[in-house]
Amino acid sequence: MNGYARWAKEATDPAKAPEKPEALAGIRVLEYTPGNFGGMVGASVLGEFGADLIKIEPPGGDPARRYMPEGISAAGTGLPFLSEARNRRFVTLSLDGPEGKELFRRMAAKADVVVETAGAKRMEADGIGYLELSRENPGLVWLSLSTYGSFGPNADRPVRDSDILCQALSGAPSIIGEPEGEGEPMRHQVPTRLGNWHAWFVEGLWGAFGVLAALNHRAATGKGQFVDVSGAEALMKFADYNITWMHTAGRARRRMGNFDPAVFPYTYIRCRDGHTFMAAYNNEAFESLMEIIGRPELVKDPRFSTPTSRVRIENETALQAILEEWSERLTADEILRAIEKHTANKSGPAAAVVTGRVNRPLETLAEENWWERGCFDRREDPVYGRMLLAAPPWKMSGTPPRIRSVCRPPGADNAQVFADLLGLTGKDLVVLSGRGIL
Amino acid sequence: MAGFDEFASEAFSLPGIPAKPEALSGIRVVELATRIFGPATSDYLGEFGAEVIKVELPPKGDLMRYVAPEGFFWQEVSPAFLALNRNKLHVTIDVRIPEGKELFLRLAEKSDVVVENLRAGTMDRWGLGYRQIRERNPRIVYAANSGFGQWGPFSKGRASYDATAQAVSGMSAVTGFPDRPPVKAGFWVGDYTGSLHAGVAILAALLARGKTGEGQLIDLSQAEALIRSLDWTWIYAERTGRDRERAGNLDPSAPPSGIYRCADGFVAISARDGEERAALARAVGEDPGGPAPDRVAAFAATRTREEILRISGEAGFSAAPVEGGEEHYLDPHLRARGTVWELDDPLYGRIDEYGPVPKLSGSPGRLRWTAKPVGYHNEQVFSGLLGLSEEEMEALARKGVIGKWADIPGARPPGAAEGRQAPEGKTE
Repeated sequence: MNGYARWAKEATDPAKAPEKPEALAGIRVLEYTPGNFGGMVGASVLGEFGADLIKIEPPGGDPARRYMPEGISAAGTGLPFLSEARNRRFVTLSLDGPEGKELFRRMAAKADVVVETAGAKRMEADGIGYLELSRENPGLVWLSLSTYGSFGPNADRPVRDSDILCQALSGAPSIIGEPEGEGEPMRHQVPTRLGNWHAWFVEGLWGAFGVLAALNHRAATGKGQFVDVSGAEALMKFADYNITWMHTAGRARRRMGNFDPAVFPYTYIRCRDGHTFMAAYNNEAFESLMEIIGRPELVKDPRFSTPTSRVRIENETALQAILEEWSERLTADEILRAIEKHTANKSGPAAAVVTGRVNRPLETLAEENWWERGCFDRREDPVYGRMLLAAPPWKMSGTPPRIRSVCRPPGADNAQVFADLLGLTGKDLVVLSGRGIL
Repeated sequence: MAGFDEFASEAFSLPGIPAKPEALSGIRVVELATRIFGPATSDYLGEFGAEVIKVELPPKGDLMRYVAPEGFFWQEVSPAFLALNRNKLHVTIDVRIPEGKELFLRLAEKSDVVVENLRAGTMDRWGLGYRQIRERNPRIVYAANSGFGQWGPFSKGRASYDATAQAVSGMSAVTGFPDRPPVKAGFWVGDYTGSLHAGVAILAALLARGKTGEGQLIDLSQAEALIRSLDWTWIYAERTGRDRERAGNLDPSAPPSGIYRCADGFVAISARDGEERAALARAVGEDPGGPAPDRVAAFAATRTREEILRISGEAGFSAAPVEGGEEHYLDPHLRARGTVWELDDPLYGRIDEYGPVPKLSGSPGRLRWTAKPVGYHNEQVFSGLLGLSEEEMEALARKGVIGKWADIPGARPPGAAEGRQAPEGKTE
């Protein structure tokens, strides 16, 4: 490691995070997001930066605990919930009746942030919405997450927010996947979803961004506010220049498999052990790549000689085949080494030949790099067993994020939280539990 | 009690936005970045009122200017460049020349945030890294965006684009159909997801600075940001020893939720809990094992999107159309929310773009102008902020430290090809 890298590691190594202060220490967040993974992500991010995060589940547990791909669960909780349950205290509370609502109101009076996915309008009608609660607590920042957002012509559409709805509306699937060919379309030649819950993930992440912007504003003015995020719009924002393209070129973008309409090569190519990413789209980088594959004459081929000619679909197809003639004989690692060797003595645009193996998850886990960087957190939980969590990705020198805890059963922190916040006694809790409120 | 709708119609009124304060007013960001992962980060901060100074190398500037979909330039600018660079002040500095380095450091001295996405260690080698800037400005929040981080085995000299992150993180391996190759997203999801992560960390660091008075270094790898976003992938691998498989358009956590072909396009059908599954089963035909994907597919195939949305509402499950840019462009809902933002730019005229995502009632985000030609705001920044005289700027221009646009599409102002007179840099 060179001097800078050594210094940077010393300054930002997540292994040292426990010794350092937290950015959101002293910020209390109430999370009420039944069945909603996006809400959990938003709350997790605030918790990773040090907020005191209290998750309110309906008695019996959050329905999100019942997402169970392949039916796998641990102590009654599915893997998606476990992957996003970090850094919380877990309380149960029914918001169906007046007493539960009153307890929620009292908790919100002592909170800095509320994260909810139950519907801003519905909570307002129940007397526990932003307008009602901010009167007592004007510094409150209220984050509402939903598919369409909580205002606008479609806001009242009756949907339960989910990743697939947000993906569909976002415009992302419309430009992911293979186009139809000649004849009857094949099963895979359709708008394609991202395989992970990416819409839900970025719904939460944009929510956290909104809350943090609002907290910065509050630090300057003392004022709280309402933050409204639509999960569809959260992912829509990432679908590039869809709107700009409509406005300027007057056409919608189309899906084109692993090709790209703006840059080429920028594609996945077959190699001996799977697939690898291959990009070299500016002229200087393209020249480097043609040298690497031993076809320097192609730089002058009119099909490939300019960025504009390279992005014609027939030329992308032809170049893909040429690249694969070369790559099929090599492993992804051999391709990476060949490129590194060739570009080591180049700089600037000529060095922009970029690759990376299309890893299956176990291949990613087998690479030492991520472990050394503290990207994964492996631990044994007394209730839930073996856990492997993706750690917060930010390495920070001053106030690094961290994982403090993994997951707890519903209501596991009732006694502590209700005593701390509301001064309830053990006897109060027994009574409330008996009546199904906790 | 005033109803929520009444509150919302006032709190989120688009015409009311210009009169409201901005969440990040008073925050200055200096950006030395190219393409997407970097420029998008500061774009997100600029939407909420930060003053963003985008530093480019004269005379060609950010190479993203030349990423033109289908080779198409609109008014001499690439549509793909516009969406990443709103509300920014465009200046040029050749930071590899000593005078340029000093100029950059003077900007950083007067700034709250630096955003860069060069290869790890490049800024430090140039004397412009966090270690050097904090000597002159200990309050600086420095976001170093990169493919693999500032340290660690993969960080050394290895370049990265969006799809590097999609590939190495495992995201592509779980996207697409089981019997087909892995699928790369048709948009730069690895850049944008990383950019938003960086924005989040910068805002957290600014809050921390409010208490401590000190800035910090944020090291963010775009691959690691995508690793974080893969929900149950890792815990599943740990427990089963297996790779999560590609599941096509079916959501394996909430089957039969997924995207289905229907009579006039595609639709998402969603049943995230027992109630919705029961409702869906009633609509598509009862089945003891719950509503099977095949039945849902047959149900959807003969109906239009509108019919399916109506039935879902009546029956009690959820549905939404699969939409693209054209539907977004024509959607009154998105326009009413400012998600499709109708921007009147002083240089380019009317241009519609995606607006801010989080809608803040008290200090809302907004688009004020779109991207500008290379060096467009040199005078405003160098004279207005740093107090350089005209003679000093001329001397710097002669040495090639600063300068205006190259006379090529992507860099130059609208009308340049027709010999229309280039506009003077304007004060925004």
